Amino acid sequence: MIKRSFVYVLCLAILQFGSPMAANAALIGTLEAVESTTRAQDLASVNSALARDDVRRQFVALGVDPVQVDDRIAALTDSELRTLAGRMGEMPAGGDALAVIGIVFLVLLILEAVGVIDIFKKFP
Amino acid sequence: MRPVRALLAVAALAAAGCGTTGPLVEPGLAGLPSSVELESTPFFPQAEYQCGPAALATVLTHAGVPTDPLVLAPEVYLPGREGSLQPELVAATRARDRVPYVLPPRPESLYEQVAAGTPVLVLQKLGAGPWPGWHYAVVVGYDAGRGTVTLRSGTNRRLEESAERFLLTWDRAGRWAMVALPPGSLPANPDFARYMEAAAGLEAVGRTDAAARAYEAAAAQWPDAALPLVGLANLAYARGDLPAAEAGFRAATERAPDDVAGRNNRAQVLLELGCPAAARAEIAVAQALAADGPLASAVAASAVRIAATHGPDAPGCPAD
Repeated sequence: MIKRSFVYVLCLAILQFGSPMAANAALIGTLEAVESTTRAQDLASVNSALARDDVRRQFVALGVDPVQVDDRIAALTDSELRTLAGRMGEMPAGGDALAVIGIVFLVLLILEAVGVIDIFKKFP
Repeated sequence: MRPVRALLAVAALAAAGCGTTGPLVEPGLAGLPSSVELESTPFFPQAEYQCGPAALATVLTHAGVPTDPLVLAPEVYLPGREGSLQPELVAATRARDRVPYVLPPRPESLYEQVAAGTPVLVLQKLGAGPWPGWHYAVVVGYDAGRGTVTLRSGTNRRLEESAERFLLTWDRAGRWAMVALPPGSLPANPDFARYMEAAAGLEAVGRTDAAARAYEAAAAQWPDAALPLVGLANLAYARGDLPAAEAGFRAATERAPDDVAGRNNRAQVLLELGCPAAARAEIAVAQALAADGPLASAVAASAVRIAATHGPDAPGCPAD
């Protein structure tokens, strides 16, 4: 069973190896041409397949529903995959402002309670 | 009281340290109305941690894609991070055939888009240290006289904030802002490279019709640029229309004779059209132009392929 699912994963990985534009590999893709004007590095030297595999692993580790993973990978460009690879744990993840405000309030309340600050005395 | 002041000073220093460079408040709003509010912008109050899907639903609905945070969450929400990453908001915009144009990192760019009637999705950093408080909101208005911006934010339908304070949180988040545009319409004061990156992203993930309309708009807006024509010709090649692709790449290199991608791709198409001699001439020019730049190895690979095909051109091949 494990062996079979490993084979499936391997097949998928091989199928997913190229980007959607891989069929056009003979031509320079438009995005590649755009990036050649804004970035200095040799674009062919970056391994997009490795980035894709890394993002796939991180998606699973970060709790994305396995049925969604392929669609989410397919929606990203090669340069976005390279941006995400290895960094999904640290990149800004816009979430909830309320939690932060709550934590700040809690810290102030504790400082007040232990007598470090006295900013709440105006509101008895 | 004193420790609080010290804390605030440290926080201010930390904020200054992680911000990007450049003036935060630009002098004046040259040519823009002094106050704007896009009142009809929809609002989706966010569920817990779901400000990404909510803010994205706001700008997409405004761009003519009726959607909902619940529909978007499976595409952009990352449970392990309790939030959403910028590239995935960009990707979800593309998936709906809208152009995800990331704005130049200047406060003025925000105001320009709002004044042109387009709400702007922004990333803010509301916290610090172990609680960064990354947050997405949508700028729907500003008032230069009162020094405020108006946001759709979290559970707040209309949050009016001091522009100074808002810009500080935006600056600390790397000044990231995006608009979702229907393909074919350009942002206010468009930046060529940023627009082309958004348009080419559509092509790269297979949204070819939207990409074509975006390239056409760019070709009209920037009549001297080769890239929009290269994009259209790449689309023609992808649908198997070699003569249209050849004509497109030729038009691109006529606009910009030093365009490496246009020449490389034209050489490859000439080869496939049975014109190896014309292809060899074109790829030689491309190789000289590519030098050791970012496209050098792609052009070298084409040259190897072309050199492997011998023989004269078929009748009807271009003479150059």
